[in-house]
Amino acid sequence: MSLFAFLTTQSLNALSQAALLFFLGVGLTLIFGIMRIVNFAHGTLYMLGAFVGYSVARSTGSFWPALLLAPLAVGVVGVLFELVILRRLYRREASAFLMVTFGLALVLGEIVRLTWGPEALQVEPPQAFAGIVFLAGEPFPTYRLFLVAAGIIIAVAIWQLLDRTRLGLIIRAASQNPEMVSALGIDVNLVRSMVFGIGCSLAGIGGVLAAPLVTASVGMAARMIIDAFVIVIIGGMGSFLGSLIAALLIAFTQVFGEYYLPDFALAFMYLLMLLVLVIRPGGLLGKEA
Amino acid sequence: MARRPKYLRAWYGIFPAAMLALAPFALPLYVMTLLTEALILGLFAMSLDLMVGYTRLFSFGHAAAFGFGAYASGWLLLHTQLPMLCAVPLAALLAGIVAIGVAWVCTQATGVSFSMLTLAFAQLLYAVAFKWTSVTGGSDGLAGIPRRGGPFGFDAFSSRTGFYYFVLIALAAALVFCWALVRSPFGAVLRGIRENEAKTLALGYNTRLYKIAVVALAYGLGGLAGALYAPFAGFANTELVFWLFSGQVLIMVIVGGSGTLIGPILGAAFFLVVEHQLSNYTEAWALGFGLIFIAFVIFAPEGIWGLLTERLGRAGRSVR
Repeated sequence: MSLFAFLTTQSLNALSQAALLFFLGVGLTLIFGIMRIVNFAHGTLYMLGAFVGYSVARSTGSFWPALLLAPLAVGVVGVLFELVILRRLYRREASAFLMVTFGLALVLGEIVRLTWGPEALQVEPPQAFAGIVFLAGEPFPTYRLFLVAAGIIIAVAIWQLLDRTRLGLIIRAASQNPEMVSALGIDVNLVRSMVFGIGCSLAGIGGVLAAPLVTASVGMAARMIIDAFVIVIIGGMGSFLGSLIAALLIAFTQVFGEYYLPDFALAFMYLLMLLVLVIRPGGLLGKEA
Repeated sequence: MARRPKYLRAWYGIFPAAMLALAPFALPLYVMTLLTEALILGLFAMSLDLMVGYTRLFSFGHAAAFGFGAYASGWLLLHTQLPMLCAVPLAALLAGIVAIGVAWVCTQATGVSFSMLTLAFAQLLYAVAFKWTSVTGGSDGLAGIPRRGGPFGFDAFSSRTGFYYFVLIALAAALVFCWALVRSPFGAVLRGIRENEAKTLALGYNTRLYKIAVVALAYGLGGLAGALYAPFAGFANTELVFWLFSGQVLIMVIVGGSGTLIGPILGAAFFLVVEHQLSNYTEAWALGFGLIFIAFVIFAPEGIWGLLTERLGRAGRSVR
């Protein structure tokens, strides 16, 4: 394999990995930005997305309905959780949120295991992206290219939502000063519910898109949540652009680290996080903490 | 809450202590094993309470202290001839010393960033434990760690009952130490940091030094718990360093009642018993556990100890 082909395929691998990490990271960071909640259940919601996606894809025989319905279902779970549980706790200190979302992670994880069983479930990628293409003479799975495209589309969509729409304006305002936004006659609680729902359904999208690649399994939550945390921390809690940059950084560190120095790849990621935090405690693009 | 009569308060301390000291004569062996584990986890949770409950420093990587202690004492017991009586305190001391460096970095940040830095260090340790196979045994961990009693009649500690007393003495000593610590001027500064760090700083206290000190102490005591766990379980593996365990010990502290020292010990025991009992009845114990846990956060923010003292406070008043 030529160096060029190697770099191309590995970079595309890293980009597709970055897309998955970004779906989780951006949801976490949106939720943190507006609610100051570190959502421990995010990995579990991602897993829920993968399993719901599996069921929908199986019953309809196609991947596309799953891509639509799974994030929707996860979003609904998120909104319900916000309405029933989180809303009671806004006057309490941050640790309360940490605890209840940890509890939610336990409960949801167990419900998933009881519903779908402990075995890993294979999800078929959509027909159009099931094959391989040749890049610089090397075979490469089309599905990973699809992931890269999906990542770009969603990143642009969120950016446009935050930057160009009225809802985005309200979200950004509420993350800076909820009291003022409330005083202007906007129902901040409604905004919170929506953002929590959007963040959760983004995790659901990540889950259903990851499923054809890594199968839907009970272990996928624990593996992913910590990576998502690392991304949010490196990028700066609450920063959209930060989570995008951090997802790219981490994905490239993982893919190339795994290739060149497999023994140190895991440690690299955490060292990177430490380095960033020591230089900028608030993360790359975060406010000084 | 009304102050209870002094004689009554003294009883609250002596009675459970006597019960625990006499437990091996009354309880079957498997309960004693469970109780020993509960005491070790109690020590672990109590050490975190110094940070969470008294200084408002949320460590998200406290498993690092436990895991480090467990690996260190396990390694010492496997590769040297040191008896437990030396290896365990030495491992705890090492954990405390390493924690000074960790704390120096972590205390540069506050709030969520502090939590995340502690998490980063814990995960770094996890990565090291996972990959440094020649020392840590990699994903298999260290196995067959002996309970070496040592000379001068200390051999008694290596039996199951003897080990229980070893753990009980360690916990009692740590509890007395922490009790005195939080009531000392040092503890007053910690509470000052908890309530308002800027004000404490303005009063002329170097709050960062105090925070480094309390992190080092908490990690040292957490390391002690881990150092006891290695010879108790006979193994040390990467799960003891994993972030999930850090989350669990935080649960123990909050469910037990943070800022009370005793509460987290009860929280740890509660955690262990519920896990044990629920897993007997149903495979889905985590489901019930999660629900109990969510209910605690919403309905009993003061934790188990808060619920108990409310009751006892009422009883105390009626006695008077």
